[in-house]
Amino acid sequence: MTKRFQGPSRRTLLTTGAGIAAAAAFPMPAVHAQTKELRFLNGEPAVDSVRALRVAAAQYEKEKGIKVTIDTVPSGDAYTRTVAAIKGGRPYDISTLIFVAHVLTLANEGQLTPITDLVNKHKWGKRILFPVNGQHYWYMYDYNLCWLFYRKDLYEANKLEQPKTWAQLLENCRKLSGSEGGNQRFGMATPVGNNDATNWMSIGYMWAEGVSLFDDSWKNIFASDENKKRTAAYLDFFGEMYKTMPPGMTQASFGQITAAYSSGQAAHAPYAGRLIEILEQRAPKLADSYGMMPYPDSSGKGAAVNHGYDGWVVGKTPMAEEAVKFLEWFSDAHYINFLHSAPLHFQPPRLDIYDDPRWRAHPLIEKHAGAVKTMQGFLDDPNITIRSIDTEGPGPDLRPAKVFESWVFPEMLQNKVLKNMPSQACVEEAVAKMNRVIAG
Amino acid sequence: MRSRYDWVIWTFFWGGLALTALFVGGPVLNAIWLSLHQASSFIAEPKFVGLGNYARVVQEPEFWSAMANGLIYALSAIVLQVVIGIAFAMVLNQPFFGQRLVRGLATLPYLLPTVVVALTFQWLADGSVGLLTVIARDLGLGTIPWFEQPATARASVILASVWLWTPFVTICVLAGLQSIPPALYEAAKVDGAGPVSIFFHVTLPQLKPVLTVVVLLRAIWMFNKFDVIWLLTKGGPLGATEHLPILAYKRAFSLFDVGGGAAVATVSFLILMAAVSTYLWMFPLEEKR
Repeated sequence: MTKRFQGPSRRTLLTTGAGIAAAAAFPMPAVHAQTKELRFLNGEPAVDSVRALRVAAAQYEKEKGIKVTIDTVPSGDAYTRTVAAIKGGRPYDISTLIFVAHVLTLANEGQLTPITDLVNKHKWGKRILFPVNGQHYWYMYDYNLCWLFYRKDLYEANKLEQPKTWAQLLENCRKLSGSEGGNQRFGMATPVGNNDATNWMSIGYMWAEGVSLFDDSWKNIFASDENKKRTAAYLDFFGEMYKTMPPGMTQASFGQITAAYSSGQAAHAPYAGRLIEILEQRAPKLADSYGMMPYPDSSGKGAAVNHGYDGWVVGKTPMAEEAVKFLEWFSDAHYINFLHSAPLHFQPPRLDIYDDPRWRAHPLIEKHAGAVKTMQGFLDDPNITIRSIDTEGPGPDLRPAKVFESWVFPEMLQNKVLKNMPSQACVEEAVAKMNRVIAG
Repeated sequence: MRSRYDWVIWTFFWGGLALTALFVGGPVLNAIWLSLHQASSFIAEPKFVGLGNYARVVQEPEFWSAMANGLIYALSAIVLQVVIGIAFAMVLNQPFFGQRLVRGLATLPYLLPTVVVALTFQWLADGSVGLLTVIARDLGLGTIPWFEQPATARASVILASVWLWTPFVTICVLAGLQSIPPALYEAAKVDGAGPVSIFFHVTLPQLKPVLTVVVLLRAIWMFNKFDVIWLLTKGGPLGATEHLPILAYKRAFSLFDVGGGAAVATVSFLILMAAVSTYLWMFPLEEKR
């Protein structure tokens, strides 16, 4: 005889409910009391970087008895995850952040622990520390400078010289455009889409020309006659250079630009050290014949690189003290191991690293010593400007960050190259949008 | 008389209502509350500003262009999805060799994750080596600027959306077609009706209940559709594909304006509510008795 289902009885419901409540109430604090754990949010998902952190975490647990849990997200999602963790009641003890405004926001909301003493133990390169109210919250691991690569082999074959001005660069781009072995080669590949890549890779010429966005009292000086004139000149040049680029640059991001250069499609491309690492993997012949230079200006007097920067912050958590201790422990050998996970891309912001034989011993750093010297030269050369949209102005602030995030400059470029608007009109529109954005 | 299963019905009813209140009502109310406050992030202390965020966002040209872009995108995508979906369903409703296989293949795009479709479409439409680009070039059409110009970028995201979600319409309409009694077609033929007349006077009226629901669902989904546009264009170039959901996201998560983003999202929600209410008033889901 089959028993007819009549649903749970009242007694069953009550006893089950009481059991669940009792189980939920008791064991959790006991577990927390037994385990000391640091939660680390990593924003570098490359397998070597994750491995370097895991090795450090395992060693720290072995030495100090404190477990370090590494969660990994793409760097662009790190801030959202950090905020979600705070809102969810389980903030990270250490987080990766890649945007100065995010550090500012978290610091202003009292969510970060200052690490000024730790930061002050080392000498840092120019424009890489961003103190908030006199305190350091960010331990940087990467400059993320963006400069121009060019094909040295093609330059030699065509008897070209490294350009010092926009006109020379444009001339070289034109000369190197054409057909080679049935494949179309383009002079330059530079993104012009609504993305971070455009903000990072396509604006360096403007910095070289001396354009700036804010003065020391946060006045929008991009709107000044001098800056508008310089920017219009940059747009005239960019509009001509765009004609030497492959189609699809509005969709291009980091990957497409490295692909365009490493596949031989483009003779010039902006990027950081990652491109050399990619060439080593995918196009070893090109890895032996690249040249590097900062973004030139119109007259040959100025030059610039655009910087990105990445670093770690310590949250305001019950484990903050332990987190600072971990970071201090990590900042020696494991910091170098981590930098080695992208040896040419993670350009050290700490100046002592350049002289550290442990760092210099990496095979790629040894092989590309010339490139490393050039990268270091970007920091040492007083004639080279290091700027980025989001770090413009006298200190960390949301205004330049909003200008960055609202695609003011990518859209200025799009107005020029997609709509063929006169350069002056493109600049006026950018000024208007910038004013709207910073007022909002 | 009370059924012995009453408690099951009431459990599901109250359970469903509680879950809806928690996961739908809660976020909606939270968004409305946030839209009345100013905050630079989700962890910042919100400052009450009343309707200030609404007044601010509706004064900005980006809001109105996002609204227009959203309407163009949603209406174009819905019309194309419904027309093509009906056409596909009618073909798939006919007996032919391999019908089952083709029916299965026809649903394939709908089964794929949006991110896969977007990345595939991006590669297909790559300006240099994309398959669609190369085919167009070989056909003598030149290099089509899929995402390079505002108009083509709009058309491209609509095309991707149509490719992705037309199978949903096809499946629903196919189910509707199979429920139409064959006697109606036979009677129409006896009366001398041709294929076009049969379609407009038998098929379409019989499909009305299905189409009412399909259009409603597609309208809601397309007006709120975020992922495919974000993955393909991030709202560019020149804001040509930026619609209200993208504007709301950018404000809240990129531009340090949580209140402004919530205000845009709330306005978008109210517009959709009004549109859905009007639609249901014009095309009630249940026939009036």
